[in-house]
Amino acid sequence: MEEPQENLMVRKIEDGTVVDHLPAWSSELALKVLRLDAVAKSKPEVSVATLQNVASKRLGKKDLIKVDSWRVGERDADILCLIFPTATINLVSRWKVSKYEPRVPDSIEGRVRCPELLCISNAEREPLQSKFKTLKGERLLQCVYCDTQLEFDRIPEHVKG
Amino acid sequence: MTKGSDFSGRDVISMRDFSREELDFIFDSTRDVELRGPQKSLDGKLIAILFFEPSTRTHSTFEIAASALRCRTTGFSSPEKSSTAKGETLHDTIAMYDAYKVDCIVMRHSMMGAARYASEISKSPVVSGGDGSREHPTQAMVDMYTIRKLFGKIDGLRIGILGDLKYGRTASSLSYGLANYDVEVTFVAPEALNLRREIEHYLRQRNVRVRKSENIRDVIGDLDVLYVTRIQKERIPDPTEYERVKGLYQVDLALLKEGKEGLKVMHPLPRVDELSTDVDGTPYQQYFVQAAAGVPLRTALLGLVLG
Repeated sequence: MEEPQENLMVRKIEDGTVVDHLPAWSSELALKVLRLDAVAKSKPEVSVATLQNVASKRLGKKDLIKVDSWRVGERDADILCLIFPTATINLVSRWKVSKYEPRVPDSIEGRVRCPELLCISNAEREPLQSKFKTLKGERLLQCVYCDTQLEFDRIPEHVKG
Repeated sequence: MTKGSDFSGRDVISMRDFSREELDFIFDSTRDVELRGPQKSLDGKLIAILFFEPSTRTHSTFEIAASALRCRTTGFSSPEKSSTAKGETLHDTIAMYDAYKVDCIVMRHSMMGAARYASEISKSPVVSGGDGSREHPTQAMVDMYTIRKLFGKIDGLRIGILGDLKYGRTASSLSYGLANYDVEVTFVAPEALNLRREIEHYLRQRNVRVRKSENIRDVIGDLDVLYVTRIQKERIPDPTEYERVKGLYQVDLALLKEGKEGLKVMHPLPRVDELSTDVDGTPYQQYFVQAAAGVPLRTALLGLVLG
């Protein structure tokens, strides 16, 4: 894990998650993908710190998220790394840090909007979530409803706000 | 080996959901209906025919098919006649007909993926009569049945699909269905209306022999079947895009005379100006034959799904 700029240091955490190497200015989207607002609401002990646009040897500039007292689930970690391939996820347990090795998930539900505006998953008021299967070899998502394909690289443009 | 019972209670949403063996079984059943009429009566079954988008042939042929099977029908033929006009969601409409314990839902909708979504809500099988610009599986079955009837086979044929390949749902479903056979498919379209990526991807995975051209004159001499489609004006989001592509192609007798002997012309109809009426009285014309096949095919299919 790279240390962020000294004047922006956030204290080390005993238990939790550090999401590092996010592209600069992407942490707000990453918080949405991880649904951290809902986590923090249901677990008062959870606190979240984000650092934006800090220096990074690998990326030039990067964002970073530290979550105290909550470890991200594997599925959420896999989806986050699919959306932001440069991201690294470190799980902290009693000060001990272990790096999570993400896998490409078979499907994604809810977090990404179908690029096809006339897809039923974009219909107002219909109680359904978007669903995509991943075509791993081609690095594509394919909408389960309308078949529209979306390159992995373009997923951040379609993350639900 | 495929049996009639394999289709019982089954959704008909995409041509990709049917194997070659299953399609052949449907075509054999259609031929039986054509020769001998429906072999069974489904007296007492109730079919909801829900058309959220206008239709002439598909709606009528499903009605005729249901009647031939002695089924009762309920539903509506346009959204103005339903609570959709009051803002009801598709979810609630489908859930309501499900609560009425219909045995099958036949539906058409303007939004893509609507039939797949409805099948997730409905306990009874959903048969798609077209969803947006994505698929129209029963039309593709009608088209392929007609080809098999005309040539006695589908394998070995060279089939051209001309027109709006981007927004045309019949072209999509026909492409998926033909991928089960040993055919060469030639796609002819202006660049702006070219085949969608997911269809090309599917055909490539299935090793289908595909050719592409922007000019029908360059390929007409190679084709056994020319499947013409209209430009889907109502689905092109940008009116200026429609203005750019309208009238870019027209099939007429002079063009067909450049084709090889025995060439057949098909069209899912309705036509606008892409297919000249001077073809109507000639042996090229098979589109009215094709339209007529809608009745036995949908009769056979409903019989299988409800059987």
